[in-house]
Amino acid sequence: MSERRFTPRKADFPVVRSSVGRSMLAIDSLLKTYPGRGGRAATKALDGVSFTVKEGDFFTLLGPSGCGKTTTLQCIAGLEAPDDGTIRMGSEVVFGSRGGAFVPANRRGLGMVFQSYAIWPHMSVFDNVAFPLVFGGVRMAAASVKAEVMRALEMVQLGHLADRPAPMLSGGQQQRVALARALVRRPRILLLDEPLSNLDAKLRDTMRAEIRALVKSVGITTIFVTHDQTEAIGMSDQIVLMRAGRIVQQGGPRDIYLRPNSVFTADFMGRSNLIAGKAVVEPGAPLRIDTKLGVLVAETDTEFAPGASVVAVVRPQAVRIMPKASGSNSINSFAAWIVSLNFLGDLVEAEVEAGGVRMVLMLNPYDTYEEGSEITLHIPPENCVAVPADDREAAS
Amino acid sequence: MSMALKHSGSGRFMPAFSQQNVVRGLLLLFVSALVLGPVLILIRASVSPAGVMPLETNRVSLEHFQNLLTSGSTWRLIVNTLQYALVSMSIGVGIATILAWLTERTDIPGRFVVRVLMFSWMAVPALVVGFGWILLLNPGNGLLNVLYRELTGMRGYLLPLYSFWTLSIITSFAVVPTAYVMISGLLRNMDPQLENAARVHGGSGTTVIRKVTLPLLVPGLFSVGIYMFMAVVQTFDLPLIIGVTARYPVLSTRVYLLSSPENGLPNYGFAAAFGVLLLVIASGLMWAYLRTVSAGEKYRVVTGKAFRPRRIELGWWKPVAIAFVIIYCLVMALPLLMLLWVSLNTSFVLPSYDALPGLTLDVYRRLLANPVILRASGNTVILVTASATIVMVTSLLIGWFTTRTGSRLGKALDALSFAPMAIPPIVLVLAIVLIYLRTPVYGTIWVIVIAHSTVFLAFGVRSMSSALIQVHSELPNAAIVSGASWLTSLRKVTLPLIWPQFLNGWLWVFAHSARDLTAPLMLLSTTNVVAASGLWNMWQFPDLPGAAALSVMLMGSLLLVVLPFQIYAARRLET
Repeated sequence: MSERRFTPRKADFPVVRSSVGRSMLAIDSLLKTYPGRGGRAATKALDGVSFTVKEGDFFTLLGPSGCGKTTTLQCIAGLEAPDDGTIRMGSEVVFGSRGGAFVPANRRGLGMVFQSYAIWPHMSVFDNVAFPLVFGGVRMAAASVKAEVMRALEMVQLGHLADRPAPMLSGGQQQRVALARALVRRPRILLLDEPLSNLDAKLRDTMRAEIRALVKSVGITTIFVTHDQTEAIGMSDQIVLMRAGRIVQQGGPRDIYLRPNSVFTADFMGRSNLIAGKAVVEPGAPLRIDTKLGVLVAETDTEFAPGASVVAVVRPQAVRIMPKASGSNSINSFAAWIVSLNFLGDLVEAEVEAGGVRMVLMLNPYDTYEEGSEITLHIPPENCVAVPADDREAAS
Repeated sequence: MSMALKHSGSGRFMPAFSQQNVVRGLLLLFVSALVLGPVLILIRASVSPAGVMPLETNRVSLEHFQNLLTSGSTWRLIVNTLQYALVSMSIGVGIATILAWLTERTDIPGRFVVRVLMFSWMAVPALVVGFGWILLLNPGNGLLNVLYRELTGMRGYLLPLYSFWTLSIITSFAVVPTAYVMISGLLRNMDPQLENAARVHGGSGTTVIRKVTLPLLVPGLFSVGIYMFMAVVQTFDLPLIIGVTARYPVLSTRVYLLSSPENGLPNYGFAAAFGVLLLVIASGLMWAYLRTVSAGEKYRVVTGKAFRPRRIELGWWKPVAIAFVIIYCLVMALPLLMLLWVSLNTSFVLPSYDALPGLTLDVYRRLLANPVILRASGNTVILVTASATIVMVTSLLIGWFTTRTGSRLGKALDALSFAPMAIPPIVLVLAIVLIYLRTPVYGTIWVIVIAHSTVFLAFGVRSMSSALIQVHSELPNAAIVSGASWLTSLRKVTLPLIWPQFLNGWLWVFAHSARDLTAPLMLLSTTNVVAASGLWNMWQFPDLPGAAALSVMLMGSLLLVVLPFQIYAARRLET
């Protein structure tokens, strides 16, 4: 069975978006500690996580495994209870440690796509999708259940498979059923727990675009958990990057990718060259960094004290290569030579050395360079972001 | 938006997972009452003064333990029990290992039939088999002894029935099916790659078995051995019908005879002291078993992948192996065939060609017209269905809490439900007698239901836990996020997913509840007779044809229920 593309029609799921921009989900200072087992120390899964999600946003929790993104999602779903903090959905407090409020998962009115899809193998496709309508606490006539289920299935282009037993579905079809089941009762918020990680690479690329198109056409607020920065960048309106139970950075995909606020963000969001140095601060002048390479002019959102340890983040695509003849006396231009070239088809990966600093650059495959040739590097100051040096990163 | 979802009304906040908390609290109460109550009462009774009914006094005395420790017969009893358990276990596990290896790892024909027979055999009451053997081997007119005398012209007998060795051999036949099930599981989970590696690097067939297969199996076999040893230490029915006449007393029969003497008053206090002794021995074995199981984890060769091991070609050993299996099956069938023969005659006649025209169904007609038998049948149906249902539903819930939540209460539930494994049924039933003697429940069928619910709880929880652990936690979570309550998710998602294991466990408890004699006999009254205790009464009366007919009916109805499921399960394994 080939995976058919679907193009969701807005008419399928009319949603009144009267108050776009209103906060739909507000998380405040969530704490969660797992007790240590077998003599090991307790782990802080969530250490003061706060964020707000606007209605209709595609909001992504991103981070490496163990960063707390899944725990956060489980707390939002009501499958786990934080130790402390507040979770608000619209105007309703669904968890509040002080008031002792806890709305159980089945009364939060959510839709969720699980990592394994959690399609119940003992039911047909139809019964899977009908479950939230039949057992979801709101009584509904059988006829309207059928109509709603078929509408949800049509929306993911699976109407023709309604009677098929669930185990006889491909991975992509299972995911569509999971989406239909999550959306069928028009939840307030859709939760997606790494829904793409079980698909093969090609299907993942298609589904990425389709999921975004679908939830955008429905207009539903979506919380998406992933460890894959490409997915996060390609799908989100807002990204929260987490590490060790804390939020490292929050922002739009462009912000997070192009203006990281830490070594961790820079490293996690994609390949980057990290050049260590000391901050040279002069009032009224742009930040300069004293590095082995020479003096770098960089942009930053952080206040640095003079002489502070700073890392300049330079993405491999940020650097321009000029012939040696053009000289290295302009700003952020350095003499260098090409150590090695690796032709990868869609790009050429080049390792260059300048002033004892090795950097990786991505070059256009149509340009020709030779290993060992001398060149001049130019790093435009707006492509060079200064972040604080990270002790933990230095240690590893 | 005409059908907008109704969200929970604000201000109506519920405590965390309230439905679960209520169920968990009830479970804890229920299991404590079932398990802790009897143990405490037993210990209390054992330290009551001699000559007083336990629980009628506040005094504490160690008299019973003094008697117990100073009496030379106590040591005799302990040695007897351990010796009996060791010999029965060794023979039984030995036979089971050979059978399991033949059916799991070689190309012997008829594997499917052997597997179904073994699984179904667990439903055949040991009591019934024991009666069959007595009919075959008793010194006077046992069929095999008569044949032996006729064929050789000698006096005496082929095998002394009422002896340690015969008792042990007959018990070992009862050990084989359970041991077979456990060992074939071990073999099936062993990665054949390990054997293939030895073969590729030049090992011959026997070298691979000696140097790789067996050493890998040893930890598993060791724990199976301890488990079966423990089971024999706790066994009661065969030592009662053969061992008592053989003057080979063991701890379990001693507890029974003290609490239900043929004449005189029951000495519950002294029985309880022996019960505590047996409890201590069984707990020690349980501890050893758990130790070997966790040691076995280190050797774990389960890869989690479904694989089909290469079968060893038996070559010219094949006829020998087939002969072994056939002879074993015949030996198992012999006592049942003897019972069938006896049930088809109105009075005891030895099987012969001349007696064939005299065969009749009169005995069955007589039984079915007997109101006691009808009551026993009705009671048995209530007993087995109620016990099986109570055990499995409780086990499902406990299993859910122990596998899904890591809370301290979950662990307490797990430990409590596992404890009956170490409490010998005879001891537990004695404690139940002490608790319920003065209550209206005593003497009804329900007191037996309580006993069986406790005895079989450990098995039920084990089987449900291992089934639930295979169910991805996201499957029930998806139901809860969809708006279903916890109990709905359990009923609509979790239970249907583990339905085969649930049904299998239900049938296991069903069959074992029907075959158990311990509880029905110790708790016997005029109204709560069931098939097993009715059988015992007819045998004692003695009404041999009646007892034989009742045995055949009991066995037949059990197999009728169990066999179809086992055939279905074995089919699923084959494909």
